[in-house]
Amino acid sequence: MIRTENLCKSYGHHSQYKVRAIHDINVNIAKNCFVVFRGPSGSGKTTLLNIIGTLDRPTAGKVFLYDKEITSFSDIAFARLRREKIGFIFQNFHLIPRLTSWENVAYPLIPSGISLKERFERAQFLLEKMELGDRLDHTPEELSGGQQQRVAIARALINNPEIIIADEPTSNIDAETSARILQFLGELKTRGVTILIATHSAIFEKIADTVYTMKNGRIE
Amino acid sequence: MHKHLNLLFLATENLLRHRTKTVVVCLCIIAILTPFITAIAISEGIRAQSLNSVNAGADLYLTSDEFGRNAAISLKYLDEIKKIFGVTKVVPRIVGRGFLQNKLTVIVGIHKEDIPEPVTCISGRVFENTNEVVVGHELAKYFHLNIGDQFSMRCQQRKVFTVVGIFSADSGIWGASMIFMPFNDAGALFGKENVATDIQIYSLPGHNSEIATDLYDIFQNEAYRLQDKQMIELYVKKGFMLKEGVFSALYIVAIALGVPAILVTSGFGLSERKKEIGIMKATGWQTLEVLELISFEQFLISLLGATIAIVLAILWVGGFRGAFIAQFFIAEITMLPKFALPARFLPLPCFISFFFAFLLTMVGSIYSSWRASTVSPVVSMQS
Repeated sequence: MIRTENLCKSYGHHSQYKVRAIHDINVNIAKNCFVVFRGPSGSGKTTLLNIIGTLDRPTAGKVFLYDKEITSFSDIAFARLRREKIGFIFQNFHLIPRLTSWENVAYPLIPSGISLKERFERAQFLLEKMELGDRLDHTPEELSGGQQQRVAIARALINNPEIIIADEPTSNIDAETSARILQFLGELKTRGVTILIATHSAIFEKIADTVYTMKNGRIE
Repeated sequence: MHKHLNLLFLATENLLRHRTKTVVVCLCIIAILTPFITAIAISEGIRAQSLNSVNAGADLYLTSDEFGRNAAISLKYLDEIKKIFGVTKVVPRIVGRGFLQNKLTVIVGIHKEDIPEPVTCISGRVFENTNEVVVGHELAKYFHLNIGDQFSMRCQQRKVFTVVGIFSADSGIWGASMIFMPFNDAGALFGKENVATDIQIYSLPGHNSEIATDLYDIFQNEAYRLQDKQMIELYVKKGFMLKEGVFSALYIVAIALGVPAILVTSGFGLSERKKEIGIMKATGWQTLEVLELISFEQFLISLLGATIAIVLAILWVGGFRGAFIAQFFIAEITMLPKFALPARFLPLPCFISFFFAFLLTMVGSIYSSWRASTVSPVVSMQS
């Protein structure tokens, strides 16, 4: 389903401190796989997931999705891919502060032309599944870190994506909430979703199909 | 269609959520646009009133020509002019200026039967006898003149006039500080007998060129000037274009000071916005959709600002009689006019004002938004 070929990303081309974030990455991820990328900070996990998730472009190399080379896609096509096929969960949640929980979850649906009623119903359904049914009208600052991350997960799922990309989803939350998120991601896998996680934590390895260890921008 | 409606509603919600920014940008737009709309409305009102006066007036205006300028014309040919085929009415007038105490007034000497129809009295009557005058409402208010009061002009203090009537305000701004008196009294006041400042000629339609030919025969070698309605209309239009031009030039300087304020306030919260755009892009929004949302926000805020500015301009003209701004367009008027000003709020200046506000707010926000939405979402989200 997802394949990379000699993927490289470096920063600071015009400065004397050129940094190679990832180097010659070749991975092959089957559909409905639960893949964990682990490694220390600065090993290139986030960069790799950003490139696979079309949030960033590689300096060299290619990414294939369903055997179609997507690296050369336009920004419009990238946005369409993100809207239709990929959901993101970020380490810092990246919720919009002035929006309520349900509005944050439903935000990706606005440009799809979906009515307010349907947006609310879909957001409500997902937030209830995340046990946040009583927090629909709360803004992020009125929620704990774990609750914010569950809102972010609900937002990632609002478009029924085929791929979930999670970057350190449990690093800012307590152990109990981490365990619930692990359980929820496990359920997603059973529904056919392909899951890619970058993490320091060993808890995801229990249910992972594949674990890649990264160090200094390479897969070991 | 639903997509665009969603974006429009979201833009409205965003403006309500960022109330402080919305209010500040709106206030900047209002501060810039209100004087402009007020001035244009007053200018258009006066222009329309002037053109109405011209249209309701004579078909031809006859004066002497001295050094290429209008000069007083002798009345010796008056009977001959009346006999020209196509001439329906001939009205000699004296229009001059003189001080009543410290106030400069316009003096019109005219025969009683020639007083223009739109001039009506709110009190008293039109003059019947010598040394009787009818004064404009503003002048009467200024000097507390009532029917029966007497006064003399500074230039001829021995001559005493009696107020027998006061013009209504409907006579237009031109009548506000005017004194109407019998033709011969005006001649005596200015020390000029048997001359008029101009002779108004009313004619049958399509006869002006024949009348001009006959006048040429009558005046032989004397220099005279004949102007028709179209020429007068052109002078009026040119005059107002010049005044509007001078006002616009002065106003551009004021705007130049106000524009940076809008640009700065439009960019308030840019860092938060950049991050928001990054999140939008990461969750599948396209650059065009982001820009459409931003444009809707600027459209709505400009519409709101311009609408309030138009309402305030209407209040400025109606409630405060164009205070501080009317003097750009009406000579010798006080800072706080004491009479209602003619004003016309035409759609085009209102639309231009809205467009200008939209342009300003767009300049303040669209580039930064475009930059934020075209870089990688990762970069935008890190802001």
